[in-house]
Amino acid sequence: MRMCIAFFGLLLAAANACAGERQVSLDWLKTVAFAAHQTDYSGVFVYQYGNHVETSRITHVVETDSEYEKLESLDGPKREIIRHHGQVWCYINHKMVQADSQRGRSRFPSLLPEQLSAVSGNYQVKEAGLERIAGYNTQVILFQPKDNLRYTHKIWAHTDSGLLLKAAVLGDKNKVIEQYAFTQLQIGGNIDRSWVGAKDSAGRGAGLPVSSPETARGGAAINSGWVADALPAGFKKTMEIQRPMRGKHAPVTQIVYSDGLSAISIFIEPDDGDEDDVSGLSSRGAVNLHHKVVDKHLITVVGEVPPRTVMQALDSVRYNGK
Amino acid sequence: MKQEISALMDGELFEDEAESLLDRIKRDSATHKDWEIYHLIGDVLRQPEHIHCDLSAKVRERMQDEPTVLAPRGHAVKQKMRTFALSAAASLSAVGVVAWMSLQISPEVAPQMATQQAALRPVSAQIQPKSNDYLMAHQEFSPSTDMNGGASYIRTVSYSPDEK
Repeated sequence: MRMCIAFFGLLLAAANACAGERQVSLDWLKTVAFAAHQTDYSGVFVYQYGNHVETSRITHVVETDSEYEKLESLDGPKREIIRHHGQVWCYINHKMVQADSQRGRSRFPSLLPEQLSAVSGNYQVKEAGLERIAGYNTQVILFQPKDNLRYTHKIWAHTDSGLLLKAAVLGDKNKVIEQYAFTQLQIGGNIDRSWVGAKDSAGRGAGLPVSSPETARGGAAINSGWVADALPAGFKKTMEIQRPMRGKHAPVTQIVYSDGLSAISIFIEPDDGDEDDVSGLSSRGAVNLHHKVVDKHLITVVGEVPPRTVMQALDSVRYNGK
Repeated sequence: MKQEISALMDGELFEDEAESLLDRIKRDSATHKDWEIYHLIGDVLRQPEHIHCDLSAKVRERMQDEPTVLAPRGHAVKQKMRTFALSAAASLSAVGVVAWMSLQISPEVAPQMATQQAALRPVSAQIQPKSNDYLMAHQEFSPSTDMNGGASYIRTVSYSPDEK
């Protein structure tokens, strides 16, 4: 009897330790998400996938009203992305090519509790030691999927601020699909804010263009009647909107599914017969994209999931009526 | 000699004796002639209404007149080959049908096959810059934006030197 109690005691302790470790790891996730939005930082990072390597500079500052973020490419043609107050501007060679609006993302979002439970339901989360990145100490956290329909994610979080200093997406046999890592980083302190500029009457930074109402308009929530049946377990629909898209005459329906760490977007638009669009499967780093025409509609599936998952999702897209 | 031939026809010779005699009949035309005459006598005695004189010589003559006589045989061989090929194809297609049926029976198999094809596909198929809009629209709602902040937007504008 005593043996039995001792045994159960041990078991309980082990279970607690296990749950405790997972909780600690999930707490890290919250810290990371919080830090990404609440910290002033500026640094240079390297982004790599396959035999492609490029260097970019990112600057993130938090003003009283919202976050400002600037991403500049340091290699190749000059590209710049500025995000502020739920809006995104994209410049290539100083020419604005795109402006987008992020619905509901305007103020310091953090991970929702359901998102955290999704992560722990679909991935095995564990701490994987301490490492030094760009001169800072980091905690390594590993997210191993419970099936082969998603990638393994590995993150290196600054032990003091929680800022993500390195992130890698791993595929089969732990092969690196893509990764990015800071090579130089300044956290807090005196960070250049000149590009943020003074506010205009509309409350926007003067340095930032006022986007046209057409492009700035976010999508409207709808129920399109399109469904995808064959998404991996744990992918929940988080969004279904009708949105304008650059170069498209008709609004595009976008349905987003997420498992907490990765997302799959399904875009549905009338097929304009442009054969260039139907180019099958293509990829960039961890992101895979697949096109197909279904019932005179061009369906595009995009996600940071393996090709097989994107193909499986695309093949299951069908119109289910309103 | 003639008695021996007669005995051979009646089946009264021992095996070795019969063999040596048959050998001689083949080589010696006179003996061969006797052999034919004896057979003719026998035929006439048994079936008097059908008398064939020197049938084998006539057949031989006719065969020499028909040099193409081998062609039909070659044709037959070819046909046999064709039959074999057809039956082989039929059994192969039967295997195909079985394989196809097994694909139909198990819904799991088809996606797996597709998966393998995808895995074999070279990674050269880079996302075209014209699809960047999809990537950007996707990135807005991806949890990776929450975690990595703006750095994950690098995917949407990433530049590849071979893209023009």
